[in-house]
Amino acid sequence: MNITDIIVIVVIALIIGLALNKLIKDKKLGKKCSGCPYAGACTTCSSDNIENIR
Amino acid sequence: MKVALTGNPNSGKTTLFNTITGKIEHVGNWPGVTVEKKEGKIKKELNRSGEDIVAVDLPGAYSMSPYTSEESVTSEFILTENPDVIINIVDSTNLARSMFLTTQLLELGIPVVVALNKSDMNDKKETKIDVDRLSEKLNCPVVKTVATKSSGNGLEQLISEAAKLGSSKHKQQGPRILGASKPQNKDEFEAADKRRYDFVNKVKNEVEIRKISSEMQTRQDAVDRIVANKWLGIPIFVAVIWLVFSISQAWLGPWLADAFVGLIDAFYGLVEGLLGGSANPFLSSLLLDGIIGGVGAVVGFLPLIMVLFFCLALLEDCGYMARVAMVMDRFFKKIGLSGKSIIPMIISTGCAIPGIMATRTIKDERQRRTTAMLSPFMPCGAKLPIIALFAGLFFGDKGWVGASMYLLAIVVIIFSGLIIKKITKDDSSSSYFIMELPEYRWPSIKRATISMLSRAKAFIIKAGTIILVCNAIVHILQTFNWQLQAVAENAADTSILASIASPVAIILAPLGFGLWQFAASAVTGFIAKENVVGTLAVTFAVTNFIDVEEYALVGGAGEVSVTFGITAVAALSYLVFNLFTPPCFAAIGAMNAEMESPKWLWGGIAFQFGMGYTLAFIVYQVGTLVTTGSLGTGFMGGLIAVSIMVSIVVYLMYKKPSEVVVKNLSEAV
Amino acid sequence: MMSLSKGKINVTYTVGDINTNDVGMKDFLFTLGCYPGETVTIISKLASNYVVNIKDARYSIDEQLAKAILV
Repeated sequence: MNITDIIVIVVIALIIGLALNKLIKDKKLGKKCSGCPYAGACTTCSSDNIENIR
Repeated sequence: MKVALTGNPNSGKTTLFNTITGKIEHVGNWPGVTVEKKEGKIKKELNRSGEDIVAVDLPGAYSMSPYTSEESVTSEFILTENPDVIINIVDSTNLARSMFLTTQLLELGIPVVVALNKSDMNDKKETKIDVDRLSEKLNCPVVKTVATKSSGNGLEQLISEAAKLGSSKHKQQGPRILGASKPQNKDEFEAADKRRYDFVNKVKNEVEIRKISSEMQTRQDAVDRIVANKWLGIPIFVAVIWLVFSISQAWLGPWLADAFVGLIDAFYGLVEGLLGGSANPFLSSLLLDGIIGGVGAVVGFLPLIMVLFFCLALLEDCGYMARVAMVMDRFFKKIGLSGKSIIPMIISTGCAIPGIMATRTIKDERQRRTTAMLSPFMPCGAKLPIIALFAGLFFGDKGWVGASMYLLAIVVIIFSGLIIKKITKDDSSSSYFIMELPEYRWPSIKRATISMLSRAKAFIIKAGTIILVCNAIVHILQTFNWQLQAVAENAADTSILASIASPVAIILAPLGFGLWQFAASAVTGFIAKENVVGTLAVTFAVTNFIDVEEYALVGGAGEVSVTFGITAVAALSYLVFNLFTPPCFAAIGAMNAEMESPKWLWGGIAFQFGMGYTLAFIVYQVGTLVTTGSLGTGFMGGLIAVSIMVSIVVYLMYKKPSEVVVKNLSEAV
Repeated sequence: MMSLSKGKINVTYTVGDINTNDVGMKDFLFTLGCYPGETVTIISKLASNYVVNIKDARYSIDEQLAKAILV
């Protein structure tokens, strides 16, 4: 294991961590389709989002 | 404070909503775009009241009578969520009809402000409306608005009137129509509604001065006669579709993608260089091939998707969609649907989820469910990379292959429609088609651009989250075997992924692609169809599919055959398979919401899978027979499977009606 | 009374009755302003579809519906 490896591990961990983070945040908001363009019109979205934020 | 935006379909509610909240909800110039309520806070610049105001955009309604089911979202919301103010958006080019709802709203006791929207169109037609008199007659403030303009649009005044009323908690008095008591039964309602229209007619006559009677023929009517012509209608439609997809898949799209992929390649090279040889091979391969390569392969198609969405937005904005419904109606009637079903299908070429949700405007339950089931057959934006990939790899000229997939989809839909019609014993003699034809307008480049960018952003987010995680997992699973040792370079067959996917691959063998890589890709495709391309990229260690030098895709059929291990025919069959199997889980979720019946949902999914399997089987076996003179692998097994599926369908189609009736009765009970 | 489907283009007819068992459709037509006493004009006849004008708005209706509207 050299320094390059460690950097790579950190980078990968960051990337995947951010991705998972976004997915979990979206799940909490009730967005069924992470990144769905019609997130406002998605089945479980809209008013649920506002409720959660409040 | 809560403000409800109500009004007739296509009156400009969502456009107004977007302008006052800064949101980018989907807009389209045809009735029925908005099917769910949306909420948003009104922008600070427009809201001087000092209090937060939340605006709720409701789907359009022509009336709030309890006897018409389609408007239930509106009446439900108003009756249960108690908005402080109602903004009634009225299409000022049609006071006569719009005010029917207005009078109903005015009787609810909640303060109402009327927004006379599309005022610019009235000015163009030189129709004058006496705003003050109207306000007096309705007993509520009336503000002229032009929601499509970003400034000088009357919205500030509208919001301030609304805010004033909202905080005053004043009880709205309706105009004197109903008489002393509230109607108790249907007959009284009808009588009341007639009086309502009498009132509306009177007010309109007093308040509106029209230069051109609406019964006169206009240039737009002449256009309609061409566009919906008995003979020209379909060819024009086909030409429009062909144009949209050619621009996005054969001309502008790939040209932009070329440059874009060059960037991705450069990035890959950069990271590769940085890692040098010193990093652990697994780690570097995970980062380079798994993550960057996998996501890069998918993101490379972003330009094609962006161009497609731009074109679709223009198409939806100009008003042509309602005419398409008119043109297709007489053909769709033959398969048990109506012209209205074409709209969800066209939307599905962007994304099946809003397409499926758009089926809510179809009144007939059976037709709605059928349309929801069939719409995913139209290749969605996420499937575009798959089409582009295989079309480019195995068939040099991408143009016609891409377009032909859409035409194939339409054929499959028609065929499926007939089957479903027979299965559900449809006798749709009593189903009517009526659709409002909005005025044509020049599509707004600005709106199309916003729509395109919003879609692009969503795509990038999707790529950076779901697809990235999937690719990483796939990569890890294919690098290690069950003993958690790294497998050798070319021995990926012993990896965890291979062993999981291989059983699935056996089922797919009769279709020509019984390799675990293809099975794995098809499975990850259920999470997101873009994953098919991503997983293929990772499992075959191909980092990009679009060659930088020539914007043809990498290699020719020969080279790719070697890389992928299947014939061109099998590739076509794989393409067909992925296009016609059930859609991604999110879309299935949307189907579930619209079907409201497990029977229909699972039946639909089974039907879709069966269709995908059968079509792929036919393509592969027949194609192999034609090109090589002998049948492909697994013919017998596949034939048995397909025969079973077909016989089940045929049985359902010709089952005696009495059984079905009994079943339905028992279900109803 | 005759069916709207037999009507001529550019002529303004007065609705006499809506001949259908589909109460939902009858009610819906009412909310658009298409009920006995109101006027409707045929703008175009295209294949088996009719473009009609009801209260300042254009609608596309199919042959069946045109048959059901009696003027």
